[in-house]
Amino acid sequence: MAGKIGVYFDLENIGGGLDVEGLAAQVRDKWADLTPVVKVVPLLAGAIAEISEDITAQGLDGVLLCGASPRVDGELYRFPVQVEYVNLRELCVQAYKNPDNSPVDKNNAPALLSLMARDYVNMGVVKLQKSAVPDSAAITTVPRVLVIGGGWTGLTAALEAAATGYEVVLVEKSAQLGGAASNIPMGSPLKSPWTDKEATCVSGKIAAVTENDKITVYCNAVMQKLEGQPGEFTASIATEKGTVTVQVGAAVLATGWKPLEDKYLASMGLGEDPRVVHAAEFGKMLAADQVTARRIAFVLDTTMAEEAVRKAAEDAAEAATGEEAAAPAAEEGETKSFVKEDLESIKHLRYSNVVNSVGMLRLANTVCEKTDDATQAFILYKDMTVPGILERFYKQMQDRLGVMMTKADVTDIRDAGSHMVVECKNTLLGMDFDLDVDMVVLPTGLVPTTAKEVTVGFDYRQGPDFPDLALFDGFADSNYICFPYETRRTGVYAAGCVRQPLTMDACEEDARGAVLKAIQCIEAAGHGVAVHPRSGDLSYPVFNFVRCTQCKRCTEECPFGALDDDEKGTPKPNPARCRRCGTCFGACPERVISFANYNIDQIGSMIREVQVPKDFKSEGPRILILACENDAYPALDMAGARGKSWSPYCRVIPVRCLGSVNAIWVSDAMSKGFDGVMLLGCKYGDDYQCHFVKGSEICNRRKENIAETLNRLGVQPERVEQMEVAIDEYDKVPDLIDGFVARITAMGPNPFKGM
Amino acid sequence: MAQCTLKPDTDFTRALKEAGGESLKKCFQCATCSVACPMAPANAPYPRKEMVWASWGLKDKLQGDVDLWLCHNCGNCSDLCPRGARPADMMAAARNVIYRDLTEPSIIGKWMSKPSGLPFLFAIPAVLWLIVWWIRAGFNGGEWFPRAADGRIVFGQIFYGDYTIDPIFMLTFFGACFILARGVMKLWGMFKPQGSLAVIGKTKSWIWHLWDVIWDEAISHRKFDDCDDGPAVTKSAPNRKNGHMLLVYSFCILAFVTAVVALGHWGGKVIPMIKIETPMPLTFPVKILANIGALMLLAGLAILTWRRMSLKPADQVSSYYDWYLLGIIWLVAVTGVLAQCFRLADVIAPAFVVYYLHLVFVWMLFAYLPWSKLGHFVYRTAALVYVRMYGRS
Repeated sequence: MAGKIGVYFDLENIGGGLDVEGLAAQVRDKWADLTPVVKVVPLLAGAIAEISEDITAQGLDGVLLCGASPRVDGELYRFPVQVEYVNLRELCVQAYKNPDNSPVDKNNAPALLSLMARDYVNMGVVKLQKSAVPDSAAITTVPRVLVIGGGWTGLTAALEAAATGYEVVLVEKSAQLGGAASNIPMGSPLKSPWTDKEATCVSGKIAAVTENDKITVYCNAVMQKLEGQPGEFTASIATEKGTVTVQVGAAVLATGWKPLEDKYLASMGLGEDPRVVHAAEFGKMLAADQVTARRIAFVLDTTMAEEAVRKAAEDAAEAATGEEAAAPAAEEGETKSFVKEDLESIKHLRYSNVVNSVGMLRLANTVCEKTDDATQAFILYKDMTVPGILERFYKQMQDRLGVMMTKADVTDIRDAGSHMVVECKNTLLGMDFDLDVDMVVLPTGLVPTTAKEVTVGFDYRQGPDFPDLALFDGFADSNYICFPYETRRTGVYAAGCVRQPLTMDACEEDARGAVLKAIQCIEAAGHGVAVHPRSGDLSYPVFNFVRCTQCKRCTEECPFGALDDDEKGTPKPNPARCRRCGTCFGACPERVISFANYNIDQIGSMIREVQVPKDFKSEGPRILILACENDAYPALDMAGARGKSWSPYCRVIPVRCLGSVNAIWVSDAMSKGFDGVMLLGCKYGDDYQCHFVKGSEICNRRKENIAETLNRLGVQPERVEQMEVAIDEYDKVPDLIDGFVARITAMGPNPFKGM
Repeated sequence: MAQCTLKPDTDFTRALKEAGGESLKKCFQCATCSVACPMAPANAPYPRKEMVWASWGLKDKLQGDVDLWLCHNCGNCSDLCPRGARPADMMAAARNVIYRDLTEPSIIGKWMSKPSGLPFLFAIPAVLWLIVWWIRAGFNGGEWFPRAADGRIVFGQIFYGDYTIDPIFMLTFFGACFILARGVMKLWGMFKPQGSLAVIGKTKSWIWHLWDVIWDEAISHRKFDDCDDGPAVTKSAPNRKNGHMLLVYSFCILAFVTAVVALGHWGGKVIPMIKIETPMPLTFPVKILANIGALMLLAGLAILTWRRMSLKPADQVSSYYDWYLLGIIWLVAVTGVLAQCFRLADVIAPAFVVYYLHLVFVWMLFAYLPWSKLGHFVYRTAALVYVRMYGRS
């Protein structure tokens, strides 16, 4: 708790005709001893030395900087005490407009603007007052990386981790290392100039791994269990000689893929005719010199198979509607034991298009090369997708006499006795045609191992598998663009085809990236800070177990499975697994969870610090906006900076995540007299943008409970709305707000106002 | 469902690559070329479709493709091709392969297609004219380099017009015409789609279309301007239109001179008044015209050769067909001019040897015309007439 706060006003950056001296005087009056230093400085960035002096001379334990947005020049203000910002420029002065839309006097702040500024400053003071420096949750970490899977990606990851000085434990399911790469003696290029086929030298990589002192390899071994937390995991590995237990700091998941079952491509002849094979199979045949066909169709368009599967599903659904009523209702109340759902589907074929595009170019070129162009290789594609610099490879592979390519809809593949006929429509050749071929090569669907089996075996409260794999059709992925390689389990980083179907060069890059993340994670745990997305955050949830009712909401709702519990249901926090989103305290009905610098009371006090006028008609409503600080807050900030203003009746409080919004805050606001509460968060669902994956989704679910409560109290539930906004939608956000304010205004005052 | 079965012919693609289209496989069908081409019609433009046909070895499609002949080879498509596939070169190569295979005897087409055939092509006229020289030397008392009674050098003493040059060249000329005519008929047949073709709307006799073509292509060279109207590319090569025009006009002048001399010679036997004696004095109007034609020929050749040499290899390369044609015309022009110079300088042995070579090269130029790039002046004209008659231009 900060007890001596220095408040500084940045005269240069506030503007808007605000009476800054008046604001400072108000702070002195109101907070007295809490704020021994209140200064108006001409330019904050020029007063850094002065602030540092004040900190030592006055013994300040908190600094409140009132001026520009914390997103501007934030790195300038690094002080040895807690620092908090009041965004008087972007969120207050620049975002201000008169309620009647009349022009704003820039030299003489209107009364409403002054009120807003005063509210924000008081909210800032109380926020700092209720904030403390977190204790360290640092643990002694194990400098060892667990690599699950000994294929191309796993081998690379093991070597890379060993090269950084970390020990490695490599777990491979089969008897030999190498995985699918063993079947590819010549692959797509792995390095500059990215033009020609390249020898993969898998055996060389295997030898390097087996000879490396730092790497311990377990073949014929599977993961049984992973327990503990990043930095100090305990992995149980089932080997031929029994279970081996080993301490590891973090893990790289490189369990790769399995080929899609033939049945999905049966309509195109796979498994029905021996002359139809899939690409991976063809690659093996080619490497073994077993290909004698001289006319080969490489079919990348799999619409036929997709249509057949879709139709079969429709027929099945039709047949099932009759039987549904007869099926016995599932028994309720019983504890469900974990059952792995098979997520393999025809969709994996489309996802694998990049790998198949590159692969088929390579195979077609190779077969022509081997026969000195006596072979005709037809590549019939719907989407020829070659990633990045591999375009050069495409160019080189295509430049071969026997390789003929066209975009085409392949509408039929049939047996014509001595040969097969491939029917093509809508081609680049300007006509529909048949091709007589001796062999048909279909794409290989890369089904991630996580779609079929439990790969890690987490000994977590939330179960042994990664959550929500169905969202990604079984791929172990989450929020890749913002936080590469992370999975929904902190400390486990996915790389290679288990994450996304990738070419071999990309798998290598993935392996390096995931190893670096794993190491970063071990180091972060050693320092007791969050690894991502709140990198470097020292705070972690602290439980006041005295009041805990063991309702298990926090352990169930944590998006990352950070909380375990005992038989009674008492939560057991694992700070190193935690990403510090606060979803747990948002869930807690007893409010026993808090962070040192972010807690229920703190935000509640900020809400109560706003002066809500009693007269709705003449002084307007008051609206509370709880804005996600990752996306919504920057969007508001940018809107203000770009001169897009919104209703002056709003007060914005940033929250770590909408998942951390506790229902009590809404009650606080309502009893304080606020007329509406707007929850501004990220998009959720399939295409979610939430930093913490589930936050805005969970908040939306809780909102229904809040609505019930409000209904009981006689407050219209429409007074609370959740809205989704993307970080780049700064142009839309003011309209969202104004729309809400208009609805509230039409609704009239909050019945609790003034009570 | 029965639809046409494609029979890709890899050998045809190989032939196209060898005839100058070696980059054709690089095409990835973006169609930048079809947009870049200032001549391509808006409906089914070229050369994007030709590139994929070439890649797939669809011989029938390319042979029946009139658009190959609409192309005037400005090279815009190649300049703008993002893949360096050089469509212009492929189009030229396709034309070359079509000249080669269009008519019998096809062995000449084969010899024409690569440098190794050159000795055979050269040997035929070389032996022919050597025999003539040998026989005529016999008439001149065994003298291989005889002088006329007045001491002048007269090539006619060895290569006597009435019995040697004229019959041989007339045979060659009519032979070439016959072969070209057959070629044109065959080409026309390939253009025609299967079944019957009805033309709706106004059309006119093929004669008038032919006149239009000759006006646009040869007399005014208007089409070459259209070519240059394409998108701006960073080309520094000299203007193709001027070189080509000089060359065409000089050919016309020289053809006219030849016709006048032939008329004077043969007509003079009936009407003595119009008789023309060779060699003509330098001041004789016909001779002046001939020498002007020769100079124009040299100038045109110089421009076109310089242009080809300054092409950026990344954008456009010159095939063996291009260099063969330029080379043979250079040889004809240089030996013609040198023969006259040596004759006037009165150096008898070089004069006769060079004149002999001149005859060899002229014969090569005309006798092999149906299989050489020069065939374009007939085949392209035929194709353009076809195109105009059926409304695609």
